[in-house]
Amino acid sequence: MGTLIVILVLVLFLAAIFTGGYNKQFQERVRKSRTWDWLTTVDHKKIGILYLMAGLVFFIIGGIEATFMRLQLFVPGNDLFVGRTFNELLTMHGTTMIFLAAMPMIFALMNAVVPLQIGARDVAFPFVNALGFWLFFSGGLLLNLSWIFGGAPDAGWTSYTGLALNQYSPGPGVDFYVLGLQIAGIGTLIGGLNFLVTVINLRAPGMTFLRLPLFTWTAFVTSGLILFAFPALTVALLMLMFDRLFGANFFDYTMGGSTVIWEHLFWIFGHPEVYIVILPAFGVMSDVISTFSKKRLFGYNSMVFATVLIGFLGFMVWVHHMFTVGLGPISNSVFAVATMAIAVPTGIKVFNWLFTMWGGEIQFKTPMLWAVGFIPTFVMGGMTGVMLALPPADFQYQDSYFVVAHFHYVLVGGTVFGLFAGIYYWWPKMFGKLLNETLGKWHFWTFLIGFHLTFFPQHFLGLFGMPRRVFTYQTNVGLEKLNELSSIGVAGMVIGTILFLINIIYTLRKGKKAKADAWELGRTLEWSIPSPPPEYNFAQTPLVRGFDALWVEKEAGNKSMTPAEPLGSIHMPSPSYIPILMSLGFFVAGFGFIVRGIPAAAIGLIIVVVSLFLRSFDYDKGYHVEPEDPEKGGKE
Amino acid sequence: MAKENNQAISQKPAGAMKHILSFVFMIAFTAAAFFVVISDKVPSGWVVPLLLIFAVIQVILQLFTFMHLDQKGSAFYTIFIVFGIFVAVISAVGILLM
Repeated sequence: MGTLIVILVLVLFLAAIFTGGYNKQFQERVRKSRTWDWLTTVDHKKIGILYLMAGLVFFIIGGIEATFMRLQLFVPGNDLFVGRTFNELLTMHGTTMIFLAAMPMIFALMNAVVPLQIGARDVAFPFVNALGFWLFFSGGLLLNLSWIFGGAPDAGWTSYTGLALNQYSPGPGVDFYVLGLQIAGIGTLIGGLNFLVTVINLRAPGMTFLRLPLFTWTAFVTSGLILFAFPALTVALLMLMFDRLFGANFFDYTMGGSTVIWEHLFWIFGHPEVYIVILPAFGVMSDVISTFSKKRLFGYNSMVFATVLIGFLGFMVWVHHMFTVGLGPISNSVFAVATMAIAVPTGIKVFNWLFTMWGGEIQFKTPMLWAVGFIPTFVMGGMTGVMLALPPADFQYQDSYFVVAHFHYVLVGGTVFGLFAGIYYWWPKMFGKLLNETLGKWHFWTFLIGFHLTFFPQHFLGLFGMPRRVFTYQTNVGLEKLNELSSIGVAGMVIGTILFLINIIYTLRKGKKAKADAWELGRTLEWSIPSPPPEYNFAQTPLVRGFDALWVEKEAGNKSMTPAEPLGSIHMPSPSYIPILMSLGFFVAGFGFIVRGIPAAAIGLIIVVVSLFLRSFDYDKGYHVEPEDPEKGGKE
Repeated sequence: MAKENNQAISQKPAGAMKHILSFVFMIAFTAAAFFVVISDKVPSGWVVPLLLIFAVIQVILQLFTFMHLDQKGSAFYTIFIVFGIFVAVISAVGILLM
């Protein structure tokens, strides 16, 4: 009771301060501060930067966890991180990297680039966009707080219920996983929905579907996958939450439940999820390779077809994660064939990238280096993928380091390389300054060499019989040398990442100012507006007259895009504090459920309902800005 | 805008006829569903499959005539609904039968 009164008084004080009842001047100062501006922004460019920064922070946390694991495995019989701690490290590494590093960085690029590439002034639902970010962030924060409050989840990122139920994983660890991911998942789902509507409805005049730049296409298909895949995770997490918190028995086989149902639901979500994170990387590669080869993308239509086909097939292959569960030979064969079929559209893409480079005027700037390094690395990951798709062979590989090597080749060699390429390529558009090329090239080479040194030996570790998710190994079974090499390789990736951080700080201080067409090779609409773009993006909506819209105008000898409308005042959405308030409510509710404090959970949900109420009766219609005329001395 | 209005007016008789027809069909299917359950002439093993078939036909009628999925500009809704059903069916078949 005492706690409740203290909290109530505190809330009343805060309310008094922030509504100006206590001190008007203080309120004014808060409203005009830059922090308030960033916390309440609904501008897609700023939300993109927020996603990027949050993603980088989580990427570093996940990287530290990976480094700890490799330190433990450096020598046989090590006792640095053993048992439960090692399980926590591997679980949090996987969960953080997939949900809290790869996903937000993909959303960062989508936010920063998609509206610019289709000639839109913002996304379709700016408010929902902000809400998506803050929900993702509060979910991620909740998940990582588990380290401090009672131990991290330790059931693997797949959280199979044979390990994750109360009797197998006591303590709040898995509860943090369930509620953190649930909250972050809502954010991702509404984010994906927002981009679907944006691409369908906000394209500039003339921007038909078959003129969309490939990054926008992949962002579109990825959003579709999010829409259909995430509900399966939501359901699975809800059922696990009921099992753990309220004593339900969905997954407890001693009470008539089934652990296989969790596996099905998780992988119905989980397999599309890996395409959700790889497809935007494909899109980045297509744009980067065609830009720095100074050539139109080879086989544009087949690229679009391959993207859609990968998205389509992504929903009928999930059982290949469960070959050894014992679902029977027919089931395994069907899903094996479907899995191998995915190699076909992926192959189409790889050949199209090679043909785009063929005969082009290639410039090896940093983004292009990442793209060229991506192709062989990703193909190696794809090859081991086809090997794993064969059920008889999979029975040998399963749960060994071979699998670890495979998915790191596709997730790091594919997604992370793609994200780095995208970050270097669009950094000038996001921040108005070019990242340093020398540091960028050092980053690429140290990271590439470190990556291969780490993960190539792991293929053989797996073939020699080293199981994954095990914290040590014995001497004299032929695993020492390769594990040592693998751990040394991590140093390369660590140095590369540190160089990248130095590069960011250096660029923010002394970086070269970027022009509108920062690489002077720009083909798509985002390069036709200043870097960074004004808050309304396009002073006049451009008229699109072909694929690679800016390149079409350049070839016709025009300096800029033809406008599709006269210059006039532009309607902008107002910033809002409701997204962060609502996310705070979800955060409090999540934390309340985790500590089994139902009153706290109720307070959190009340905050959510209050913010929904505030939003429903928010009659703020936004404001208008007068754009600077580009012909009368506006920004270039 | 004016053009669309004209089209709407010129299509009105055919549209109205279609709505009435679908309405009659839906009543008929509902009645048929009741009959299948009440009557003893239908073998008991057929009841559930028949009901499911009637339900599917009714959903399709509902979506296309009363939710206007047959009109222009609803291609995306159709694609997404069909794909959603497709994913749901694949998942259900995968979980239940495989």
